[in-house]
Amino acid sequence: MAEPISRRGFLVQSALYGSSLWVLLNVPRPRAVAAARASTHHEVLTDAEWTTVEAITSRIIPTDHEPGAVEANCVNFIDKALAHEDAAMKPLYRSGVAAVDAVSRRRFAKSFVELTADERDEILVALESDKADGWPVASAASPAKFFEMVRAHTIMGFLAHPKYGGNRDYAGWRVTGYPGGGHHLGGYSPEQLMGKEKIKTAWGDEV
Amino acid sequence: MAKRDECDVCVIGTGAGGGVMIQELTAAGFHVVALQRGPFLTAANFDDDELRTVIRDEVFSPDQLETYRFDETSRTETGKFNMTANCVGGTMTHWAAWSRRFRPDDFKVLSTEGPLAGASLADWPIMYDEIEPFYERAEWDFGVSGDAAGNPFGAPRKKGYPNPAHPPRTSSARFAQAAKKLGYHPFPTPMAINSRSYDGRPECAYGGACQQYGCQIHAKGTTLAVSIPRALATKRLDLRPDTMAREITVGKDGRARSVRYLDSKRGEHEVFARHVMVAGNAIGTPHLLLMSRSGSFPHGLANGSGLVGRNLTFHHAAAVNFTIDEPALSFAALETHVAVDDLHASDAKRGFIRGGVVADFNMLVKQPLAYAFLGFPGYPAKRTWGSDLKDYLRKFPHAVGTVAILEDLPMEANRVDLDPTVKDGYGVPVPRITHRQHANDLAMNRWYTQRLRDIADAAGAIDTWVPDAFAISERVAMKGSAHFHSTCRMGDDPQKSVVDKWCRSHEVPNLWIVDGSVFPTSAGYNPTLTILANAYRVADHFVGEAKRSSA
Repeated sequence: MAEPISRRGFLVQSALYGSSLWVLLNVPRPRAVAAARASTHHEVLTDAEWTTVEAITSRIIPTDHEPGAVEANCVNFIDKALAHEDAAMKPLYRSGVAAVDAVSRRRFAKSFVELTADERDEILVALESDKADGWPVASAASPAKFFEMVRAHTIMGFLAHPKYGGNRDYAGWRVTGYPGGGHHLGGYSPEQLMGKEKIKTAWGDEV
Repeated sequence: MAKRDECDVCVIGTGAGGGVMIQELTAAGFHVVALQRGPFLTAANFDDDELRTVIRDEVFSPDQLETYRFDETSRTETGKFNMTANCVGGTMTHWAAWSRRFRPDDFKVLSTEGPLAGASLADWPIMYDEIEPFYERAEWDFGVSGDAAGNPFGAPRKKGYPNPAHPPRTSSARFAQAAKKLGYHPFPTPMAINSRSYDGRPECAYGGACQQYGCQIHAKGTTLAVSIPRALATKRLDLRPDTMAREITVGKDGRARSVRYLDSKRGEHEVFARHVMVAGNAIGTPHLLLMSRSGSFPHGLANGSGLVGRNLTFHHAAAVNFTIDEPALSFAALETHVAVDDLHASDAKRGFIRGGVVADFNMLVKQPLAYAFLGFPGYPAKRTWGSDLKDYLRKFPHAVGTVAILEDLPMEANRVDLDPTVKDGYGVPVPRITHRQHANDLAMNRWYTQRLRDIADAAGAIDTWVPDAFAISERVAMKGSAHFHSTCRMGDDPQKSVVDKWCRSHEVPNLWIVDGSVFPTSAGYNPTLTILANAYRVADHFVGEAKRSSA
């Protein structure tokens, strides 16, 4: 990669200026289609790809005393995004997942899903720094681009509204302490704004 | 042969400048055709879905494309760098609604400061007193809520705000306490958001989706909610959404003759107008003028000065986030509730000239995706994934954001022009942004960052961090902004400005520009209220002239 994307530039653009994520990846971006995303039927990823992507997400937002990407079903969010809004990224995922396994086998003689948590992290650090031995040169995305794509998608799957297929049972919002969009919850009174009265959450609690 | 498509005035853009102009001209009896890129959205199109609206940008400008380069020798990047909204109501539709008047010295930067190397400082051709009555009109039309006596450093005013100030939330109350502790004078940030039912629009529900969102109940003052409905009610507005103006033609008499535009299927149209008013923002307006080349204007329409597109200003921002020992409620209510102007006045002893307003600010702490992507502290010492990320996410409920909106100095090399190779979905060249920061910007940004850290300390911050969303340096500049100005400066000298004090082209007598493009300097305040006020001022002049000439 002649000129790597700066981390800052990528972060800023992928969030603030969403479309730039797609532009930087140099793939055309189709207009969104509305669809039910709660289904966990595999629409794009094969079973093997599903398992590998889920294993990557498990290290992006790990499970500790609280749910992580696996419990939030971030891989389902990714599958549904690839089936719809992010369909243009399908080839990047296809080749990227295969490449991650190639790197994993080169380093540990095992597929990525067979690795321990620490071994998975070692591979992901290598991808992030764009220095992954065994990454096929012909792959559609560089290691760092692929890593950023999955990282960004995992965060979206954890923190976007559950209707997109991730954030299962509001796991991401519960961990983050975000109660959900205020208008749908009826807005806030002056007492609530000052913490003097409880507020409602999207999952029906009062906090 | 089809009837010629004609009107009194063609207004290009329906945001703050264009929307007010449309309202005022239709009220005065003119027939207006308004062209607007993007759809006519209503409140029913808006929600608080962060993925759809902010991250994927599917609501406001999914088709926008721009290029950016640091300077003429740098690599050009393609993307979307400016937070514009391409829809009826323009970028004001998703504004946060900060409504601050500029102060008298903001109109006289060159004469106040004297010349500065590397900067193209200028005075506005008007004084504060000339625009003051029109600030008042803007505040009353758009329902600004505030406390007129709250800010001892504010611009002088003849009349109070139409609505009382908004109630605080925990994060803003902690900010205000800290500011007082430091000897500052915090006051409620004036916001064009209803603190009570006003002018047929409801009071704010404090749901939190303001900046980058359309208001779901129109409690937020926008031209979409205020000006466009009034204009449509006159039956004198022919509103044409989903159109892209691509050229303003001129006749042999040197006057603007027609506007050529594309519909969403790239179909070509032409509307003839006695006057053309351009309000496409400081990116879109020079873009259109530069595309309007002809034998008499080979370098772009109204560009005899060569300044169309030059002196682009964006503001820059210092931002500091911190956590407190109680839930901060930053996800609720307005982008800002409280501000201080104590640090605003220019003082060269600080190592830079000019300054800006300091305020509490929830943009980076109000919703989880922006928080996760933009605010991450400590990179590269910490990983932006794994347990570092998860620990950071868990701080969200206690996070408070602060900002300084800072005046950037104009530089002639900072500009908008036409990209030589990249075209957008309409098949026209995209705007190319060339932008770097003046050394004064960097010194100012560092100083204000430290003052925000002082406020965090005084507020009892547990963790304090500088989100790098707005970081600038010798090599990294703002690539875009939500505040666009100065690319068609107003002034008295046709060699040094594009339009005169009435925002009429020096060269084309029926061509007017009524957006942030005409600001000679950017001031350390959010620009929209001044764009509105200036549009009322120009409209008042235009209507007065028309009456005089027909009398």
